[in-house]
Amino acid sequence: MLDTSYHRKRSAQRLLDPELRLEYDRARRELDQINEVMRALDELRVDAGMSKARLARTIGRNDAAVRRLFTAKVNPELRTVAAMAAALDAEIRIVPRRRKRRAPATDGDLVKTG
Amino acid sequence: MRSAKAAPKPWDVIYYRASDGSVPASDFLDICPPKVHARFLAVIDDVAVAPPPRFSGGGYWEAMHGSMAGYYEVRQSGPSREQFRLFCILENGSPEELGRRGLPGPAIALITGMRKPWMTKFSGRDYRRVLDLGTEHLAQYPRRIKES
Repeated sequence: MLDTSYHRKRSAQRLLDPELRLEYDRARRELDQINEVMRALDELRVDAGMSKARLARTIGRNDAAVRRLFTAKVNPELRTVAAMAAALDAEIRIVPRRRKRRAPATDGDLVKTG
Repeated sequence: MRSAKAAPKPWDVIYYRASDGSVPASDFLDICPPKVHARFLAVIDDVAVAPPPRFSGGGYWEAMHGSMAGYYEVRQSGPSREQFRLFCILENGSPEELGRRGLPGPAIALITGMRKPWMTKFSGRDYRRVLDLGTEHLAQYPRRIKES
């Protein structure tokens, strides 16, 4: 059998570079979120007993386009994702990981005009 | 309630090695800007964990069509919107078939990559070069890959 460990070793070595590591971790987090949304939609679809073709008809898209979306063969557009969520009686939300604390307004914050 | 299934083993990621010993995909990644390089690795690792037909790659991993059918590309943008593409082939089949290829399991084979300025297209000749390398890769039993 061939030794297929080159990629793991190569990545481990290249990712010692802090710039690469930072971007890699950032990209993985971004991908995780996109994947999670698409997989959650697919699970809702399956739970609702709705075929991809029927979901496509419900949102006015052709079924090949929706099929391609669920197999990651094309980049999901937000409006299509939102339409599918609505068709499955769900919604998309952005949840801040941590809320920024807003300082109380003071006179110095006011922009004076005129 | 959905039953918890054990996550399948991630696919291997392998690099096609040319007859002259060069490794085009690795060489390509090394000349990419660091951020592009890192994002390529992230997408490939993501797809290896959840290979097709599962959704993975966040939309940066796309099946190619027409003369490039059977190939997948990872798409990334760099500085000045320069476009970077990494071309891959999926290695899957029965254990016997994978064994014939010298592979212990399914794998993503990284063939080569190309870059182009924004709003330009690769030529037919560019794609021909990718196809030639891919065809050579697929003709090898066992596969000729970069080993450690």
